[in-house]
Amino acid sequence: MSQGLDIDHLAKLARLNLTADEKKLYTQQLSQVLTYFEALAKADLPPTADVAMVVDESALRSDEPGKPLGAEAVTKIAPASHDGQISVPRVVDDES
Amino acid sequence: MAQELYQLSATEISQRLAKGELTSRALVEALMKRYHALNKKVGAFTHLDEADVLAQADASDARRKAGKTLGPLDGIPVGIKDNIAVKGQPLTCSSKMLAPLVSPYDAHVIESLRAAGAILYGRLNMDEFAMGSSTENSAVQKTFNPWDLARIPGGSSGGSAAALSAGLVPLALGSDTGGSIRQPASHCGIIGLKPTYGLISRYGLVAFASSLDQIGPMARTIDDCVLLLNALASPDARDMTCFNKNHRQQLPEVAAKSLRIGVPKGVLGKGVGAEVAAATQAAIDFYKSQGCTIIEVDLPSSDLAVPTYYVVATAEASSNLARYDGVRYGHRSANAKTPIEMMTNSRSEGFGPEVKRRILLGTFVLSAGYADAYYVRALRARSKIRAEHLAALEKVDMLLTPTVPTPAFKAGEKISDPLQLYLEDIFTIPANLAGLPALSVPCGKSGHLPVGFHLVGAPLSENKLLAAARLFEAAHGFANQLPTL
Repeated sequence: MSQGLDIDHLAKLARLNLTADEKKLYTQQLSQVLTYFEALAKADLPPTADVAMVVDESALRSDEPGKPLGAEAVTKIAPASHDGQISVPRVVDDES
Repeated sequence: MAQELYQLSATEISQRLAKGELTSRALVEALMKRYHALNKKVGAFTHLDEADVLAQADASDARRKAGKTLGPLDGIPVGIKDNIAVKGQPLTCSSKMLAPLVSPYDAHVIESLRAAGAILYGRLNMDEFAMGSSTENSAVQKTFNPWDLARIPGGSSGGSAAALSAGLVPLALGSDTGGSIRQPASHCGIIGLKPTYGLISRYGLVAFASSLDQIGPMARTIDDCVLLLNALASPDARDMTCFNKNHRQQLPEVAAKSLRIGVPKGVLGKGVGAEVAAATQAAIDFYKSQGCTIIEVDLPSSDLAVPTYYVVATAEASSNLARYDGVRYGHRSANAKTPIEMMTNSRSEGFGPEVKRRILLGTFVLSAGYADAYYVRALRARSKIRAEHLAALEKVDMLLTPTVPTPAFKAGEKISDPLQLYLEDIFTIPANLAGLPALSVPCGKSGHLPVGFHLVGAPLSENKLLAAARLFEAAHGFANQLPTL
């Protein structure tokens, strides 16, 4: 099953740059782990998954506005900010 | 023999504070002295704000003097794993990704500890983003096992376990996704409890795998574990999985004769070290001698637990860790011209090897063409494992196994073999997959290294597990044991 491991594709989906050495290492390690996962493919399993909590006592809170952290606290921890807003590299090109 | 302050259990400290024989300030000064003497050697804490600790201790002493003490935890230090938010303190998850982050808010458990008067005492080292079983994945520093400084303390809550067994702090918080409280507790000879999924709010816990993560207490005695658990378990609407009723209860006395203890078939066989098997068997024999009924139980899908866990946990991690994009907080790459470059470079520079490995694995098991074969099958296997455990726990009160198959290994021994490390969690993972409470209790040594046994109970049976563990603790000398450092 692990033949489908396309490390370049995965790295792109996960937004990670990998060096050639990392690609080689992760391909080898992940293939080994995926081989271990083959027990799942062979197992006799129930037709559907029951994903409910083991004790279902949780509840949604009432939909009331809360008190947010505020711009000052948020921009204080941001890597870059300007005029109370978080700044990032330009998203839209000038030409477009 | 006069006991040093660092040797006292939290319960003993609480009694001395109440009687006026000790002040919180004298206690934290003694602990900080020990921190300066030993933390470099053990590597448990990554940060300790001494001025803040002293201010908290003075405030506690002032409350006591004014007759306004907040309860049994008032004035007692609690070490905090570095993935639980404390306002004004670093929140790094031992990752370069969050190295610059100071938390702007308190986690629910921290609010609860403040309300109980506890001293929030330092930040404890961990495997990066709680991914690991040895604390060797910390990007900050190594932590060593106080029982043998050449060995790992376990992980991911390795800083918490090492701090307790080194006598650096009497209580600590950990978090447990697949064994991250119980495995280091076993390796360091202390007590670690992973509560029922939903008992303790995760608001303010940095998410790893949300359907598995729980915060839990770590301590050197059962009474101390109960003291801390009672302060942590309370309803919180900010975590929608948190129970909305209060389940705090006092520890009941358990009549040994009424306990039925299940031992999974063949559990002390393949892969379990001889001395770990012997210590676990001795615990089983102890319960038998107390009049408990020992019943062999069948959990046929146990072999599926580790693969199921590593599919579910990495899938959830790949999704949860998508938030680290360099935009709002944490590390932002200095080398980026476009938003995509900023995200990709920030993540590549910020995450360590194990985190990248798990994100890639989680991305794979969720990707088009593979999700049905891996993720969906893992969810179905998880249902089966849970059903088998719940069925077994209708026949018995709790299951008893070793916590970890072998004692703490040497630093560096397994770091290059992720699969070997994943097998460290073979006994602890099912409780996370099934949402059940589970406890590691010290039960002896393998050579000079601590060994723990593991109890798993039905949902919300924490008190029964703790009472059973207390029976064992009372008859043996393993509580509050500290190695010579």
